[in-house]
Amino acid sequence: MEHARHVFRIIFVLLLALVAFVLGRTLLVPKSYGMYGPYRFDNVAEQAAIRPPLHGGAASCADCHDDKSKKVAAGVHKHVSCEICHGPLGLHVKDGDVVAKMAIERSFTLCARCHRKIEGRPDKFPQVVLEQHVQQMGPTKLEGKVCLECHDPHSPKL
Amino acid sequence: MDDTRSTRREFIHGAIRLGGGALVVLSGTALAAEEHPAERYDWEAHRYAYLIDTTKCIGCGSCVRACAAENAVPDGFYRTWVERYVLSAEGSHVDSPNGGKDGFPPIETGFLPTKSFFVPKMCNHCKETPCIQVCPVGASYRTKEGVVMVDGDRCIGCGYCVQACPFGSRFLSPVTHTAEKCTWCYHRITKGLKPACVTVCPTGTRQFGDMMRDDDPVRQAIEHERVSVMQPHLLTEPQCFYIGLDKEVR
Repeated sequence: MEHARHVFRIIFVLLLALVAFVLGRTLLVPKSYGMYGPYRFDNVAEQAAIRPPLHGGAASCADCHDDKSKKVAAGVHKHVSCEICHGPLGLHVKDGDVVAKMAIERSFTLCARCHRKIEGRPDKFPQVVLEQHVQQMGPTKLEGKVCLECHDPHSPKL
Repeated sequence: MDDTRSTRREFIHGAIRLGGGALVVLSGTALAAEEHPAERYDWEAHRYAYLIDTTKCIGCGSCVRACAAENAVPDGFYRTWVERYVLSAEGSHVDSPNGGKDGFPPIETGFLPTKSFFVPKMCNHCKETPCIQVCPVGASYRTKEGVVMVDGDRCIGCGYCVQACPFGSRFLSPVTHTAEKCTWCYHRITKGLKPACVTVCPTGTRQFGDMMRDDDPVRQAIEHERVSVMQPHLLTEPQCFYIGLDKEVR
């Protein structure tokens, strides 16, 4: 009889531990954890809806700015997305309404990002040593909209 | 005697039921498969891959700017960046000022360069990735489409994954204090859009494709052209493929 009581005590303690473990696990492990692997599956949906897409792509600009889009599409800048120079669509339009003006940058630093002659660019890509190029063309100062005085960024002629 | 036997039988029945119940609870949560929550999107119907043709890159940094804007990447941290390699037999120069975000300046090297090129870099979304293996809380994972992501709610910011990534693709965000990385713009690709970096790339250097589509140009390129991956000896099976990598590129 004395021995049996020992056994029951141990079983009771073990059962208590098991209940605590199961209860703790149920409370601590997130709901969708382990459905497809050792991660919380709900996060996949959270990531998909983390924020609305900010960039629309060139086609989305054509919805309102068809004239500009056609002009760009016909020129050598046809692969240059509007958002490269003007910034993401999401800052300009939200839910179909214009919320802010698009940035229009006319400085030569914008053009220089692609066309300044630097070490690293493929040789075939059109590049200029800005200082020399500008001097050849007349103006002497590398400032303001010096590139745009001769080139239309939407359809630059070389 | 009969009484004892029936009690024993009942006990065994009870024990089996209890054990079975416990197993169901222990085995985690729902066993039934659920559909992907993003509407009209089947995550089993895609297996994404990324192709970077370094021979086309002009180092304009549009991808870095687009990524930062699209994903609210904190200043000084990069989910993607562009490196410039200027090389000759005498010396080498590698730079990435501000991740290439503002483009690249002219440089003076102490040697006459014989070749130079840009290499856009980002998370390689490896199939066998060390960053997931080391995560102690199950915050890093790979989806069925092959996108490696971080669950910001689970991440404790220990930084093991940041150290484990051989490509330096992860960082601890000073804003959220959790690990962050490229998600291939998961919020875009699940809506049928391309990642922001691919959307703005003016030269076609960056391309995003689906290996489950026969006519996909990226799949075609990977299957028919000579592509390489970053650090293949690590056997992480990157899913970002490169054209025109150089031995100097790590």
